[in-house]
Amino acid sequence: MPAPVLELRRLSKRFGGVAAVDGVSLALEPGRIYGLIGPNGSGKTTLFNCITGVERRDGGEVVFGGERIDGLKPWQIAQRGIGRTFQIIRVFPELTALENLLVVTRGGAEEARAHALELLRLVTLEGLQDEYAGNLSYGQQKLVEFARVLMRDPTLILLDEPAAGVNRTLLNDLLATVAGLRDAGKTVLLVEHDMKVVMGLCETVFVLDHGEKIAEGPPGAIQADERVIEAYFGR
Amino acid sequence: MLLAALAVYPAFGTGYGVRAMLQIFMWIALAGSWNIISGLTGYVSFGHVAFFGAGAYAGAILIANAGWPWVPAAAAGGVAACVLALVIGYPCLRLKGPYFAIAMLGLNEVLRALVSYFEALTGGGSGLSLPTLHATVPIYYAMAGTAAAVTLLTFLIITSRFGLRLMTIREDELAAEAMGIDTARHKLYAFLLSAAGPGIAGALAARDQGYIEPISVFPLATTITMIVMALFGGKGTVWGPVLGAVVLFVAQELVWARFPYVHQLLFGAIIVAVVLLMPRGVLGILQLKYRLPRTI
Repeated sequence: MPAPVLELRRLSKRFGGVAAVDGVSLALEPGRIYGLIGPNGSGKTTLFNCITGVERRDGGEVVFGGERIDGLKPWQIAQRGIGRTFQIIRVFPELTALENLLVVTRGGAEEARAHALELLRLVTLEGLQDEYAGNLSYGQQKLVEFARVLMRDPTLILLDEPAAGVNRTLLNDLLATVAGLRDAGKTVLLVEHDMKVVMGLCETVFVLDHGEKIAEGPPGAIQADERVIEAYFGR
Repeated sequence: MLLAALAVYPAFGTGYGVRAMLQIFMWIALAGSWNIISGLTGYVSFGHVAFFGAGAYAGAILIANAGWPWVPAAAAGGVAACVLALVIGYPCLRLKGPYFAIAMLGLNEVLRALVSYFEALTGGGSGLSLPTLHATVPIYYAMAGTAAAVTLLTFLIITSRFGLRLMTIREDELAAEAMGIDTARHKLYAFLLSAAGPGIAGALAARDQGYIEPISVFPLATTITMIVMALFGGKGTVWGPVLGAVVLFVAQELVWARFPYVHQLLFGAIIVAVVLLMPRGVLGILQLKYRLPRTI
């Protein structure tokens, strides 16, 4: 088994009396796509926020590439190679699609521009590069956000509900791109409510309920797991 | 041609004309500087006149007490304002939205109280007189240079990736951080750059007027005027503050001359109209409508 890209060790986060993330441990191997599912309020987004430094964890460790990253600032974590999208789109609305990508680059301006245009082509947004991001449709904005994540060439990509609000055609392109990232050796962790997407794409699925990891395994086994069914449908 | 006309103007213009132009340059420097921090990062500074006042006092003290010539004293005014920005920017730029605005407002009041208190150095409430010097024309050029430098700086920032990153802070600071942008450092740099111009302008204005007192260099009205000028012309654009400074200064002078009793009322009405009807300002609207490049 290769060394994990990301390892969570008994990670916890409380909001007042609520344990949003409660002692979660998991490990992600390179070159794989992982799913993170669970009912609303089960702590999925909070887990993302703890990994990316948006929220300070209360206990446990986050280890990325062999280095503790809990306690680092969000921009430091991003610079180490973790990219993320948000559940609610966070493009820069008054910057153009191209500028949205250019802000994260270093190095030569021409080189960066070429790279950004290539990524916009990858997400089928060619021709819209000079449009203000705020003028694009919801689905297109999601694609801008996705392409922006790729600008930094992250080793771990966290996607928060990539399929929500994206039409079928765009979605298939997006999923093909995610599979391509995996083939290029990237690791992907995605939160998704669309079970078809999760079951079709992910090799391993983690299930959260009330902040606790209640199951882990291949999609088929997860669907049959008693505790998972109970968490989703009640007893 | 415009530059040449401005360069030879003092040789032909009336005393009033030269003084009015000097004031316009000063407002361009102030509105343009406010634009660098507030127009680009969205951190609205309601105490930007503090840098003007700090520069005025630093310059005036060096001239009156240490016998410095006014040119290096003006540069020192800019440095003093930057040092002040560094000291207060570090804690204050962590505050978001209205809290930052209020902290800056408070800073200005604190500075005014401090200069009133340290009488030995600043003359306290009775003010500080500078040795007599007739240098309106050289100061005209120095102020024009300051205005030009602030505008050039704005152009360089807006057309760079540094400028784009400042705008991401305005657009969505959390997303900017998640993209690996060190927002705290970017904000601090922008804040420092936005303090230099008012500091120099303050020292030049102090030399030009020959006398300063706490209420004359720390007035809230100056902050409000520079904000309105930048908003009117178009915040976040290169030429917006220039346009706003010219149009509103001329408008203010015309209204002042014709309606001396109600001019503040009319100016207040202009402020309300700008904020309500065109929050993006003239160039902001044109930019969005006609897809103008960021270089306007």
